[in-house]
Parts: sequence; C-alpha cells; structure tokens
Amino acid sequence: MTIELSRRGFCIGTALIGLQTVSSSAFARSEDGTVKLGLVAPMSGPNARYGSFSLRGAQMAAKEINGAGGVGGRKINIMAGDSQGTPVEGVSATRRLIDQDQVDFIIGDVSSSVTLAMQPVAEDAGVLLLNAASSNPKITYKAGVGGFKWTYRNYPTDENRALIVLQYAAEKKGFTKYAVLSVDTDYGRAAIEFTKKYLPRFKSQILTEDYYKEGEVDFRSVLSKIRDSGAQAIIMYGNADSTPIVGRQMMEVGIAGKIPLIGNAEFNTASTIKAAPKALEGAIEAAAWLPAYDSEKSKAFVEKFTTEFREAPNNHAYVHWETVHLLAKAIEQAQSIDREKVRTALSKIHYASAVGDVTFDDHNQARLPMILLEIENGKPAIKGAYSAEIDYPK
Amino acid sequence: MFYTIIEQVVNGIVSGSVYAIVAVGMTMIFGVLRAINFAHGEYYMLGTFGAWFAIDYFDLPYPVAIVIGVVATAVIAVVVGNFVMQRIVGAPAEAGVLATLGVALILQNTVILVFGGSYKFFSGGYIEPVTLFGFTLAEQRILIIIVGLIVFIGLELMVTYSRMGKAMRAVSQNIECCAVVGIDVRHVALWTFILGAGLAALSGVLTAPVNVSVYGGMGELITFKTLPIIIMGGLGNVRGTFVAAMILGIAESLVATYVGLQFRDTVGFATLMLVLMWRPHGLFSAQARF
Repeated sequence: MTIELSRRGFCIGTALIGLQTVSSSAFARSEDGTVKLGLVAPMSGPNARYGSFSLRGAQMAAKEINGAGGVGGRKINIMAGDSQGTPVEGVSATRRLIDQDQVDFIIGDVSSSVTLAMQPVAEDAGVLLLNAASSNPKITYKAGVGGFKWTYRNYPTDENRALIVLQYAAEKKGFTKYAVLSVDTDYGRAAIEFTKKYLPRFKSQILTEDYYKEGEVDFRSVLSKIRDSGAQAIIMYGNADSTPIVGRQMMEVGIAGKIPLIGNAEFNTASTIKAAPKALEGAIEAAAWLPAYDSEKSKAFVEKFTTEFREAPNNHAYVHWETVHLLAKAIEQAQSIDREKVRTALSKIHYASAVGDVTFDDHNQARLPMILLEIENGKPAIKGAYSAEIDYPK
Repeated sequence: MFYTIIEQVVNGIVSGSVYAIVAVGMTMIFGVLRAINFAHGEYYMLGTFGAWFAIDYFDLPYPVAIVIGVVATAVIAVVVGNFVMQRIVGAPAEAGVLATLGVALILQNTVILVFGGSYKFFSGGYIEPVTLFGFTLAEQRILIIIVGLIVFIGLELMVTYSRMGKAMRAVSQNIECCAVVGIDVRHVALWTFILGAGLAALSGVLTAPVNVSVYGGMGELITFKTLPIIIMGGLGNVRGTFVAAMILGIAESLVATYVGLQFRDTVGFATLMLVLMWRPHGLFSAQARF
C-alpha cells in the first residue's frame, strides 16, 4: 500500500497544524482569575542557593499579597522555572513558562548571562520580563529605548554601583587620586571601566592600576607602589577571599588607616574586618540591600523571613520579595492584568521600596538607591542610600 | 626611586625565602628519588591546616602550632613515603609523575572533605610591622628570612657532614652502587621524603600569618611556583635552589611593581627559559648527571 502525499496536501496539513498552535496559545488562553507569575532562577546547579533564596522571597511576597485579598481580587500564582544558571536552560525555562504555563509576567534571572538570553524570548512573546538580581549594564542598555521594550530591571547595575562609590568618595571624602587593585576578571575590569567613565565628572584621576589573579596571595609589592604613588584611596572590586590578605599586607607596608579601600569586595564581613581591622577602617562599599538596613519595612521583612524559614535572608531573597510587591503595585495601578497596561503603569510608577523610592527611566531601569557602607571603629556603619545619574551610551 | 627599589628587593627576598624552603625539599626529593613530587604543595597546605587547627580548636600559641603543623605533616609523609614513594625508587619517571599527582588529588580532596571548601582565617603569627632602614616589614617576614637562612645553612651542613647527608648524596649520584655497598636506599629515600615534606609544611606555617587565608586548593599554586625554581637551580642541587628562589622572588617583586601585578605569574617560566638557554643544566650544575 502506498500513501500518496501531494505537495498541496502537505501544505494544507501544515497550515492546519499551525493554525491550531496559534489558536491554542494566542487566543484560547484560559482565564482562571489568578495572576500567573513565572520566576526563572537557578534552582539547581552551582548557584542553586541563590535560586532557593529568590524563590523563597518571591513566595513570601505572594503569600502576603494573597493574604491581603490579592491584587484586584486576583491571587498571585508563582510558577518556578529552573535556569540552572545557564543561558540555554534559562531560555528553555522561559519558553515553557510562556507557551505551556501561559504566564503573564516573568521575574528572573539571577545570572546576567541568562537574563541577556531571556530578553529576546520575552520580547517576541510580548511578556513582561522584570529582572530583580542581574547587574550587567548591557541588560539595560538594550532595554526600553535601547530596543527591548518588555524588559525592566529592578536592581542596580555594576555601573550604578561604581558610580555611587566614586560619587560618595568624591563628595563626602574629598578624594581625587586613586589607585586600582581589582580582580582580573570581567567583573573587576568592567567595574574599573565604569569608574573611569565617571572620573571626569568628579575631577578625579587614577594614578596606578593593577589587576590580580584569583588566588593571589602576595600584594606587598603593589601596595608599596600605591603607598608611594600619592593615592588617597584604593579602588578594589574583587573576591571576598582576597580582602583579608590585602588588608593584612596593608598593615605591613604602613598604609592601614591612611589609604582606605573603596569598591566592592565584602569589606563589611566580620571575619574580614577581624583579619586586618586597621586596614579596613574607613572602607567604603555599596550594596543593593543589607539585613542590617534600618528601615521599618526592611526590618519587618527580615523578621518575617527569619521566622518563616529559620534563616536570615540574603540579598536575593530581599530583591525578589520587593520586586513581586512592585509588580503587584503596578498591576493594581493598571487595574488590569493586561500586559500593555501593566507595562505602562510600571513605567510611570513611584514605588516606596524598603531602600527608597523606585522609578523607572526610559531604558526601563529602576532608579533606586544603593546603600552605602563605611567601616567605623571596626563595624559597618550605614551611611545612607544614594542615587546617581547614569550616562547611557548613544 | 632607589629607596623603592631597595624595598622591592627586600620584598623579593621574603618571597624568595618562602619559595626556597619549599623548593629545597622538592629538589632533595628529586635528587634521591628521581621523581618530581607534584604533591609537594599539598604538604605546604597540610602544614598550614595543621597549625590552623591547633590554633582554632585548641587555642594553642603560634610557636606550638608551628611544631604541630610540621609534625602532623611529617606523620602523613611517613605513611605516603612507605606506601608510595619508596616504591618509585628506581622506577620509570612516568611512575613518579602519576603517583605524586594521585597523592596530590587525594590529600587535597581529603582536606576539603574534612574541613570544607571555604576559606579559613589564620589568626596566629607576628603581624606587627617593624621599621628597618626606612621601610616596614612584618615581624613574621623577618622570621621567614631568618628561618630560611637557618634551614639552608643546616641543610648544607647536614648534606656535607652527617652520615645521612652523605648517604643522600651517594644515592643521588648512583643508586646501584649504593645498593652494592650496603646503603639502605629505601631508608634513605624515606627520610629524604619526610624531610622534604616537613620543610614544605614549615614554609606553609610560616607564611600563613601574612597570607591569612587557608584553603584546600592552596597547595597547587605553590607547586607551580617551585617547579621553575628547582629546574633553574639544577635538579637535586640545594645551593642552586636557594639562589634560584631568590632570583625568582626578586624578579617577581620588581615585575609586580614596575610592569604590573597581573604579569608576575609569567616571571617564573620566563626566567626559567632565559636561564636554561644560558645554562641548560641549571645554574650550578656543571654537566648532566643522568
């Protein structure tokens, strides 16, 4: 028996299949009276801890909102997707949430490289992608007027952090001369590039510039050079494990207490300060959020999270908790779960977060403050929350 | 400028002393066993962990921790020496490479399994700065230089005048003839190995206060630092190792200051290439031995 398959028959069959696909996904979305919120994060793999905290934070927020009657009478239903911290899996998880779970909005990912891969997928589907934890500025350069109009970010970028640290050092400390000692990775070098971008704004200069390999243990030579260079502060973006070594050796070459570290390399952890207390004195660091931040909303969150999960929340838990609340507020103001209306509401929103007022710029980047820390008398002291003006590439 | 160069040379001498104490053990092991001990850095790590454990869990003073770190490592070296190193005496070179790499993996992962992979904070040592001739140096660095000198003088005396030292030199020259005249080659190999591992541990404990962080993978770095040193100094040559270590330490220090910190790691093998072009058998070897 031979089956005759003509070209015409094949085309008609294909068209019918396509039509069915279109109708099931675009026009036949089931309306069940909930807000379907997808959360993409690394639920397994080496960064699973971040994913776990992210999910807990988001779920806690959803629970609070649902307990208060939901958003306009609708309960938030969180659907988790596992990116495993890789772009390929992140895209798969995103497609699954959009095509099968038919989510209205997506929060994610934690890793910048995954988020960058998710942007075009969300854009093609017209699904709001609200990032809460990635720090690569490219995500924002390409969002809003930069191209992807469905991508929003409610988290400070590496550029924002570098600018705020520099701004504080210039305006509050009067520093104008810096030495660089950063980790020799994309992160460390990018932070310095962003810093250099804003040096002219503060009439500052970099006198010496060195990058260390991960695992480096001998900084004496470069610290001696920095001491003799006339630098007023050392700009350091790097790993937590290098900071105690640098601090200890700063004591040796006699610059401890004279030339402070500024940047981001976990200057504020107790064990780091204990290793070289004099060297860490006056260190300046910026953070998106800290458990110790003294605001009513922040403290309430910490207490609630600790009670529920018997573990202190970390940054990822907080930012996802806050971002779910932010989205809920936008839906409330839009008085609809229509994606276009929610997106418009988000663009115009003034949201009172635990760290300060949140608004979005034309690149869909949240203009939100960063907490600035300074080490005083061996303890981290919060110096306030600071915002800064970003110069976007033309 | 001249002032700065002097300080960087002193920095280099400190680094060189650390490398020297580790490398001399490695080169002695090679001299007797004819095997490059790729696990050598792991004994450096074990010494540090032993001392850290003594300080953190038993609150012992640093000098006692030094002894405990070295002794604990020596005990482990006895076990490894008996089960692994003695068997590679006279074996092909490939056997030594494979065996010592295997030991390195076992030691490193055992430590990570027992103590965890996170960085530990080493809280002992003499870290107060002392000002000498216009520049500052931690007391610990001075201790490192002094111990380095003592170690090398001691080794020279031992190798030259003691019975065991003479036996070591004899074995390094000709294993077969030693066996013929009744020297217990495996016994000499074992003691050389223990001595080498102990020296690595000693170096680890001495540098821990200024390196601060202690972790399971810290030995790898030191192995790759010492490799060019022992080749440059002449494999099996104690005196050459000392000079080569100083050359490397000073060169690294100067490069880190005047070229850039990120380039310091290229110094070791670049210097090695230059020296080998000039002296193919190492700085102090008149000719190839084997």
